[in-house]
Amino acid sequence: MPASESLVWVAAVTIVIWAGVFVYCLGLDRRVRSLEDGE
Amino acid sequence: MTDKRVWKWVLGAWLLLVIWAAFFYAPAAKGFKGESARIVFFHVPQAWVAVLAFCVNLIASIRFMRGHDPLDDARAATAARLGLVFSVLATVTGSLFARVMWGSFWNWDPREVSIAILLLIYAAYFALREAIPDEERRASLSAAYAVLAFVTMPFLVFVVPRIYWSLHPDTIINARGALDMESRMFQVLMGSLVGFTGLFFWLYTLDVRLARVKLARQRREEV
Repeated sequence: MPASESLVWVAAVTIVIWAGVFVYCLGLDRRVRSLEDGE
Repeated sequence: MTDKRVWKWVLGAWLLLVIWAAFFYAPAAKGFKGESARIVFFHVPQAWVAVLAFCVNLIASIRFMRGHDPLDDARAATAARLGLVFSVLATVTGSLFARVMWGSFWNWDPREVSIAILLLIYAAYFALREAIPDEERRASLSAAYAVLAFVTMPFLVFVVPRIYWSLHPDTIINARGALDMESRMFQVLMGSLVGFTGLFFWLYTLDVRLARVKLARQRREEV
């Protein structure tokens, strides 16, 4: 991978990881709250 | 929206700020190809969270051995799972850096090998859990294994990579005990560490709450 492309790689991987984990957390948060409300 | 729910959006905004700062506020590091060194703002916090998670796994395992509370077993399993996930993320980001800097995703560097061994050790924790159907026995053996697994962690993460010659750049606080990092880079790194730690505790809390609901349901079914 040429060095000039490395920023794109770093940015893409970073954003996918951050966004993925954050969206997963939001989904899990909603699921846990609905389960707790159902108890 | 209650106060409790606001903080997750604060964390989301913080993460966005860290991403922006990593690419537009921090200067490019000297001595690295292209912009590859910016991965440090994500790679180091991922490795830090993995170590933190394995520490939480140890504490929860010891608590289980003392009190035999199934929720402590769930806490330990959750922490180990998150430690494994963040170790994989640190390995992936490290491999991308290695590809840019050294031309290959995997170079059999001591740090790469030690993280691979650590991944196998904690993967075995889950293999052990899956292999034992009896819950009480599974929890007891997992707790004992977690204590043994943790003993290897400081050697694999901190000792082995410092003993052998490594391609890996100096750690944040290097072998001379000095901090060789530009101040803006250091600020962004600290911001990212805070963000990742917040994300870890959010994930951890959610998983433990989920386990608590499942345990309560299980207890009701048993009665």
